Amino acid sequence: MSLATERRGRAFTTANLARAVFIKQLILLVRYPINLLSGLLTMYVFFLIIFLGGQSVAGEAVADNLAGIIVGFFLWYMAWSAFSDLTWNVTREAQWGTLEQLYMTTEGFELLMLVKSAVNVLLSFLTGFVILALMMLTTWEWLTVDVLTVVPIVALGMWSVVGIGFLFGGLAIVYKRIENVFQILAFGLIALIGAPVDATPELGLLPLSQASYMLSLAMEEGVRLWEFSPTDLTLLVGVAIVYPLLGVGFFRLAQRRARRLGVLGHY
Amino acid sequence: MSRPERSSTEPREQDEPAIRVDGLTKAYDGPAGKIRAVDDVSFSVDPGTVVGVLGPNGAGKTTMIKSMLGLIVPTAGEVRLAGVDVHAHPSKAYEHVGAMLEGARNVYWRLTVRENLDFFASLAGHPLSAVRERHDELLATFGLAEKADETVNELSRGMKQKVSLASTLSRGASVLFLDEPTLGLDVESSLELRRELRGLVDRESMTVVLSSHDMDVIEELCDRVMIMNDGRVIADDTVENLTGVFASQAYELTMAGRLPETTRTQIEREHTVERWERTPDGVDRFEVVLEDGDALYDLTNTLEGSRVTIASIDAIQPDLESVFLELTNRAGSFADSRSRAPDDERRADRDGSEPQKREARLRRDGGRSDTSPDGERRGGGRR
Repeated sequence: MSLATERRGRAFTTANLARAVFIKQLILLVRYPINLLSGLLTMYVFFLIIFLGGQSVAGEAVADNLAGIIVGFFLWYMAWSAFSDLTWNVTREAQWGTLEQLYMTTEGFELLMLVKSAVNVLLSFLTGFVILALMMLTTWEWLTVDVLTVVPIVALGMWSVVGIGFLFGGLAIVYKRIENVFQILAFGLIALIGAPVDATPELGLLPLSQASYMLSLAMEEGVRLWEFSPTDLTLLVGVAIVYPLLGVGFFRLAQRRARRLGVLGHY
Repeated sequence: MSRPERSSTEPREQDEPAIRVDGLTKAYDGPAGKIRAVDDVSFSVDPGTVVGVLGPNGAGKTTMIKSMLGLIVPTAGEVRLAGVDVHAHPSKAYEHVGAMLEGARNVYWRLTVRENLDFFASLAGHPLSAVRERHDELLATFGLAEKADETVNELSRGMKQKVSLASTLSRGASVLFLDEPTLGLDVESSLELRRELRGLVDRESMTVVLSSHDMDVIEELCDRVMIMNDGRVIADDTVENLTGVFASQAYELTMAGRLPETTRTQIEREHTVERWERTPDGVDRFEVVLEDGDALYDLTNTLEGSRVTIASIDAIQPDLESVFLELTNRAGSFADSRSRAPDDERRADRDGSEPQKREARLRRDGGRSDTSPDGERRGGGRR
């Protein structure tokens, strides 16, 4: 087999795997409807608490920053999905007894988990836009949702958080029940979203912060993707590459440690 | 039924066994030092062979199988599956391998039967168009065709187990690992699954490593049996040979009356008596294990000297279970004596005469004598 044929073969089987993972994840999403609906409802109630609670406490201050709150909450929800889905997937697959089957893919375990993460990000858009629509309907605050701008920014921002997801996914493979630890990061995500990148551009090196800054400009002020500076765009893309690379590297070490300890399929 | 074709960039050497394991060792840190879950295991399996792995709980069966699959990183040793080093090139090796490790938990219960087959085939790199026909055949073989569009959680335990096996087979693997494939099944479902599996293995000439506590499964399906204890392979042979080794050496003798005490004492001194029984009508019956065929003549001479007529002599035909118990108990005694042996003696064992080789020698010698680490032969005893 020539190298070109082999490469084409590899691309084909990876695409085939991505298709299979997407179909499976979509089916499971639909076949656990209570889980899906309760997840959406919880997030919406959480937003209502922030919105209505904030109004009663801070009044005008909340009304003045409503757009920022909606954008921030939307991004937080998406980032939380990207970050937690991988860890949950690892835990659930181990409980189901299918994690070791996934490890035995011919495409490589890390690639499979990257594909799963990409599918999770994609599916998160479906639920994320439902939450966004509910928030805008509730507050009657209509934001600019330029899909060509919002989707790439959010996707790249989420992808940087996927890197952290891989880190915690790696911990879950070795230590199993770590939900309580990774829930702490839910608060960490708020800090990353609220980081003042406009005042301190270096903070854009943190995961999600650059995406949060750019998304606020896009949705609140209508800035289009191509109107951002090359520095902003480079930072957005760079962060979305570096953190997943670090995360996958850690995940690889963790799965090797789990296999050395003989606990890969344990739960 | 045809397996989906694939080309491999790592050509398999001619005459390469389907499975080759060299010096496989897995040691864990335990509270009392290193624990060798798998201890220097080496063997090979020819294509088309079904190998059963037997052993008591904690013998190292699952650790060995998972180490062979690359799911556990061994401390030492090499495993080649279909000619590919599974630890160096796992993805390449997985093109040839399927494993059912968790029984019915091996599949997604919220997916339909067919969706499971499709997904697991994709994990092995097969496009759906290439496996559709095979999946239809698998569904028909396992009697799942009518259930193909039902989610797995709606099926019975036996059906779930079949889905799990069919999903493993959907990968189009030539080497299969099945860990307790009939665990938890009722007798009927177990028989059915065994029948279907045997038919499939014969048709497709698959190589199978099968671990089970169910002796019937092993006897019915396996061409060869490996018995493990304390991480070591203590026996490796066909079912016929394993049971045959013990077949001609155990006898049940029924006397026409009561044996004198002196005769009983003499028999106990010269042979290994497993059981004495005195019936209410005063007849002695006993089970004895003899060193060799000549010992039977010695025994009958002794009995004739007592002037009590021998009513019957029956050779006891052992089944695999009794062979298994015999070997694992004996290895347990051996391990106990090893643990009491001085360090240099244990080193000598590791360096020169591994327990499995000793056991192989024991089998060749007739299997009726225990050999202690210092080489002293002792009368064996069936427990």
